[in-house]
Amino acid sequence: MKGSVIIAATTLGALVVAGCGSTSSGSGASGGTKSCVATIGLEGPFTGPVAPLGQEQLHFAQLALASDNTANHTKISLVQGDTMLNPAQATTVTQQFTSNSKIVAVAGPAGSQEVEAVGPLMARAGLAFISGSATAAVLTTGKYPTFFRVVSKDSVQGPQDARYIIANLHPKALMIVDDQEAYSTGLVSAMLPIFTAAGIKVDHESVSQKTTDFSSLTAKVTSATSVVVLPWQIAANAQQFGRNLAQQHKKAVIFGTDGLFSPGTFTISGSYVSSFGPDITAIPADAAIAAAAKAKYGSFGTFGPPVFAATHVIDEAIASVCKAGHTPSRSNVLAAIRKTSEPTSILGQPISFDSHGDVVNGKFFLFKISSAGKYQLIPG
Amino acid sequence: MAFFFQELVNGLTTGALYALVALGFSMVYGVLKLLNFAHGDLYMVGAFIGYFVIQWFGGPKGLTIPVPLLLLTMFVLAAVLVGGLGVAIERFAYRPLRNAPRIAPLITAIGISFFLENAALLLFGAQYRVYNTPDFISASSGITIGSVTIDSLQITVLVLGIALMLGLRQLVSRTKLGRQMRAVAADREAAEMLGINVNLTIALTFFIGSALAGVAGVMAGLLFNQVSNTIGFTAGLKAFTAAVVGGIGSLPGAVLGGLLIGLAESFIIGYVSSLYANLLVFGLLIAVMLVRPSGLLGQAQLQKV
Repeated sequence: MKGSVIIAATTLGALVVAGCGSTSSGSGASGGTKSCVATIGLEGPFTGPVAPLGQEQLHFAQLALASDNTANHTKISLVQGDTMLNPAQATTVTQQFTSNSKIVAVAGPAGSQEVEAVGPLMARAGLAFISGSATAAVLTTGKYPTFFRVVSKDSVQGPQDARYIIANLHPKALMIVDDQEAYSTGLVSAMLPIFTAAGIKVDHESVSQKTTDFSSLTAKVTSATSVVVLPWQIAANAQQFGRNLAQQHKKAVIFGTDGLFSPGTFTISGSYVSSFGPDITAIPADAAIAAAAKAKYGSFGTFGPPVFAATHVIDEAIASVCKAGHTPSRSNVLAAIRKTSEPTSILGQPISFDSHGDVVNGKFFLFKISSAGKYQLIPG
Repeated sequence: MAFFFQELVNGLTTGALYALVALGFSMVYGVLKLLNFAHGDLYMVGAFIGYFVIQWFGGPKGLTIPVPLLLLTMFVLAAVLVGGLGVAIERFAYRPLRNAPRIAPLITAIGISFFLENAALLLFGAQYRVYNTPDFISASSGITIGSVTIDSLQITVLVLGIALMLGLRQLVSRTKLGRQMRAVAADREAAEMLGINVNLTIALTFFIGSALAGVAGVMAGLLFNQVSNTIGFTAGLKAFTAAVVGGIGSLPGAVLGGLLIGLAESFIIGYVSSLYANLLVFGLLIAVMLVRPSGLLGQAQLQKV
């Protein structure tokens, strides 16, 4: 008897909750003076080998959502989808998102290989998705009409970095090591022809992201090899690579990309890091966000702020749809994202998109690590 | 020639680590015929324990105790705690399935592996924890012969690894516990009828195997400088491969398999290219298995029909 009462009460409670939920959703589908309610998805590698980057992206998406909801009087909620930087897992998450009619846009995924996997699904569902870190040039050739990104692309970064290395570090021989992921191999492909054309002797190597000992590889760094290029996503690996170099008394300078921007982890003095994101702690207008992020989540690198920007673009698009008195549906939000024209952003630059979804005038930032382990922006 | 010796030292060091993890893997298989896929995750737990010991004693830049005492504490605590964790896993996850079809404990082992990996994610977060070993053991300390450098950590790992392997060999071949372990491995029921406490023997086997994984985890943290909840997967896979190549269940085989993989990796990266390292290493191992299906030092099992 007692059990029956508990079951009945639980069922009643569940029905009341469900009823409240449906009422809320109903009101959320309208705009004007009613509250603007919507749900967005966030795809990122929250677990797995690059979880530190994914967690940072999650934290910044949550920060953006909280601040935008307050500023715009919206009630936008976030659904997380862990992709583990794995295209197959990203596909599963995307299928869940596309079949969830409440989700009107998606921030992410993080990796170019994942965008390739989910692009057709997103397009078929008419779901806009904005990545804060997928940089492969091929993504914005018109294949994925609902894809946008707030960062620049490999075809800009690879050549820019290669030319900087040639002009400023003057290597006669260099080693370039990919980490066997599409992001890394894409950048290597963009850089190699430029190095070769400049007459530099290149030793192209490859290691898995799961490798933690590089002593065999650093043994191959000859006295003539003055630069080692590491377009990697895991800063701790680069730190170990630098340590292995030091153990063997090798003096080559490390030049890394995006994932190596991690002031708490990668601190090899004299190294360079090129990144699609700026160091927002050096942007005065971002002081409040940077302080809030540090207070709530600890130190961060450059993977979080672009996702803040991506989430913010989606939030503003939803708010503008509601403001115009329309329902924040997938098609309306997609149309609003296409019209995005943010005069400024957390990235220290305006955000608008070209017809293929690329951010207009996107750029990369180059940093040098001082002897104290500080990241110093190289102007230019 | 210097390059050859440098790669030899590198290969022996990583090989010694693989061998230590493979030993535990092989011990458990020998006694229980169980592929303990959670073994790599015990290595991960050991690495985390080492990290927290460093933090406990003031962090890498402000150590409050001498470095040798710190290292001793790291190794002992990792061995005892990870050994205890291994015993707990055996007691609560594997023992109830001891008489179940062999697939059941295998799936449980995979489940325990995921459990440990995700528990570490929840407890310690996703970020890489860095030992910062160079802050208390200089990266340039050690021996330099010509242009070959053997740093003090590599020496520590090699010496400790060899000592543990020899100690284990003595334990298994010369002590009462070793005889009991061999008896249980040969025929569990007969061992029980002879008065051997099978449960205790299996628990102690798990303790020793897990403790070795814990020690290997600390060594890896010191050598490779980084710890995360995912490092156990690769270590476990390499250890499993080493154990199989050496002849699963054979302790000298596990050591041989570990060293073989470490050296093969090192020389292929050094003399061929890292681009083909996994392809060639595993190609070599497949070739070994084709020639010796029961592993280099394994013995073909006779089966009653």
